[in-house]
Amino acid sequence: MWWKQVSNDSDVVVSTRIRYARNLSGYNFPNHITKSDSLKLIDSINMVLDKKEYKLFKMADIDEITRHSLIEQHIISKEFADNVETGAIVSNNDNTLVAMVNEEDHLRIQAFESGLNIENCYNKLSSFTNKLEEKLSFASNDDYGYLTACPTNVGSGMRVSVMVHLPALARLGYLTKILEEASSMGVAVRGLYGENTTGDGNMFQISNQKNFGESEESTMIKIKDVVYSIVIQERKARNILLENSIQIEDEIYRTYGVLKNARLVSNEESIKLLSKLRLGVAMGIIKNVSLDKVQGLIINSNTNMLKTILKQDMSEYEENIKRAEYIRREID
Amino acid sequence: MKCQSCGKKEANVRYYESINGKKKEILLCSECAKNLGFTDFSSMFSPIFVNIPEYIDNKSEYLKCIKCGYLFDEYTKTGLFGCPECYTSFRDRLDKILIKLHGKNKHVNASLKSKPSTKSTSNISELDKLKEELQNYIKNEEYEKAAVIRDKIRKLEK
Ligand SMILES: [Zn+2]
Ligand SMILES: [Zn+2]
Repeated sequence: MWWKQVSNDSDVVVSTRIRYARNLSGYNFPNHITKSDSLKLIDSINMVLDKKEYKLFKMADIDEITRHSLIEQHIISKEFADNVETGAIVSNNDNTLVAMVNEEDHLRIQAFESGLNIENCYNKLSSFTNKLEEKLSFASNDDYGYLTACPTNVGSGMRVSVMVHLPALARLGYLTKILEEASSMGVAVRGLYGENTTGDGNMFQISNQKNFGESEESTMIKIKDVVYSIVIQERKARNILLENSIQIEDEIYRTYGVLKNARLVSNEESIKLLSKLRLGVAMGIIKNVSLDKVQGLIINSNTNMLKTILKQDMSEYEENIKRAEYIRREID
Repeated sequence: MKCQSCGKKEANVRYYESINGKKKEILLCSECAKNLGFTDFSSMFSPIFVNIPEYIDNKSEYLKCIKCGYLFDEYTKTGLFGCPECYTSFRDRLDKILIKLHGKNKHVNASLKSKPSTKSTSNISELDKLKEELQNYIKNEEYEKAAVIRDKIRKLEK
């Protein structure tokens, strides 16, 4: 899976995502559409897909655990996961291109890459979208650009999001300052787990707040600039932690010890522990666990992913036992 | 606040000019602003509206999209439109909403089919950069710097 791979600047950057919001002309937006029109729209998208590369799945045909595991892989939105009435997903083999059909807009087309890879991501997204646009008519307007259900997305309809791991900055208390700086440049930084900016796993999403009146190119350049400057600051913060190396080493080896030996690990605890392990691996303190292994664990240890991998539904207590077992086996 | 040009209509745009280093503020109605020859006026002004309901007069609850029947009133509740045609039906309101949300009411690349790599000439990206800079100064209330950038933009656009 793309979210496991190690790529450019993976010590700090987890993954890159770019999405387009698009709507088909002739249909009402999803908040004002009839169910039969929604289903007709799914068919018309399915008809123009290159079936060798892309498949369409109706949400109604996917079981609940799998649907929720897609949230944990950051492939679909929370709100969309339970839209079994009218939702559908278009995806390629390795899920590096996933479109949500009938989310807030008719199409939310997303491309994913591991690490910081804005160009590759953009090329993949635009080539898929351009091919679709040859066969479908997207609603647009000369003055406003691509039309979307919510006027905050109108324009290029593009959002660039880069997921970064900032444990050292968080620990040294620099996050608030960075969030302020970023938002003054029109860039949003959101904690990944819940809306609180502390974010237990220290994972943050950096993305453009708007795209209207801005070329796609300048949106991408802006995000890249902000991401780079945050990456540099996180690396500096890690060096500061190394100045008192015995203390950070102790903390990371203790975390490693818990993960290697614990018999009960909750989802919440795994998020915190694996964040620290990721830091230890990225800083070169822990050498016998690879970064892609940790990245895999960060996703796979979540409730619905774990149930999918182990192919069983479980009570929370059983789940905590299985999670501890799974992590022990993986990092041994 | 009445418009300082016609003195009749309510002012809804604020215009800043720096004269000999002194900041001067002029309040105008959108009509007068246009008549005074500010073609790209959305990027020259900082909107003084704070929230959406201020735009809405009493008739708004009856304002309806001719295509899908969506009421403008519903937009003020949900933040969403009903269909692509709503953008045309609610055009007058929309320009104000877009200026409030984005500081402008026109998207940059009018022709969508051309992707940035083929489209951008140095002149256009220069202009884009300046316009962004301008927005940032306006946001930070650094109006003297904003006026300098604005003059540069005017020169480039000629
Ligand atoms: Zn006037
Ligand atoms: Zn409509």
